[in-house]
Amino acid sequence: MTWPDTELDPVRRLHVLAAAMPGVSVEQTTLDAPFDFVWGLLSDLEAELPRIVRDVRSLTITRRTPEMPNGDRRLAGERLEAYARGYGGLRARFDIVLRPGWCVMRSRFLVGGMAAAPDGERTVFAFLGGMRVPGQVLAAPLLSAIAGRLTPGVLRHIADRVQETRRASRS
Amino acid sequence: MSVSGEAELLVRAAQLGDALALAELLDLIAPAVTRWCAPIALQDAQDAAQEALISILRNLHSLRDPAAIYGWARTVAVREAVRVARSARRELPTLLPDGAAADGAQLGVEIRDVLARLDPEQRAVLMLRDVEGLDEHTAAMVLSVPQGTVKSRLFRARRKFRTEWQL
Repeated sequence: MTWPDTELDPVRRLHVLAAAMPGVSVEQTTLDAPFDFVWGLLSDLEAELPRIVRDVRSLTITRRTPEMPNGDRRLAGERLEAYARGYGGLRARFDIVLRPGWCVMRSRFLVGGMAAAPDGERTVFAFLGGMRVPGQVLAAPLLSAIAGRLTPGVLRHIADRVQETRRASRS
Repeated sequence: MSVSGEAELLVRAAQLGDALALAELLDLIAPAVTRWCAPIALQDAQDAAQEALISILRNLHSLRDPAAIYGWARTVAVREAVRVARSARRELPTLLPDGAAADGAQLGVEIRDVLARLDPEQRAVLMLRDVEGLDEHTAAMVLSVPQGTVKSRLFRARRKFRTEWQL
């Protein structure tokens, strides 16, 4: 006899996070590549973030903490600290949580996230982006609108990058 | 650190606008929220859990006592699960049609099939009393109904569950 239970995949969780944070936007797509391929590529943040987020010139990971101090699996994931440099002179320190299918990153003024879940031989993928500023609640509609214009472009870059890498790996 | 202590710290940080704390709090409470929603919303459990978690995280600022996060989240989750199950009820197929009831035991009927024959409110009171082990007073507070209603609803739910299970 089994009492019903279920779980939320990372993509649904990212939608929850986006709905709970003012000033962010989340977009979802289905990528024509298996989960392991997609996540193997995109979780290499130093190499891939500058490719898929065009405002980022470089990202350097300066610290990795493999597990939480208490080893609690409910809070699973590597903790990373990274420095990003942008083309417009932007410099920001990011705190990042990274595990298979899940990445959330936060700087003083920015928040970002990626989530992926297998869908047969394809991958459901979501990208979250937004800004964090003082008086955020009041500015949330404006910030969401700005983020909402940026995230579809990032998703297109990601889809292109996945296809390009897949073609290269086959040839 | 205990799970509730961890949750309390994360609630405090998330209430101050820490996005990573909000994400970690989501990690911490999502398994409990899905566990509360699943027996009530059944095949709509993922939708119910997603709605419940959105409501919990969006209204986190209104939680005055961060130590009460689990009790408060349970109330929100049960309410959302009942709401989602009620709104989806018209489309809910009968998983165990009358004609197939006699073959139920041979077909290996699972508890989910029996629960599908109960009202969402009956599933909620069964889950709170018989799975979560809440007393009548606490279950009444979670469901926002008088204790007498919990008692009678539980009596009918258990009787219906036993009847359906034995078919």
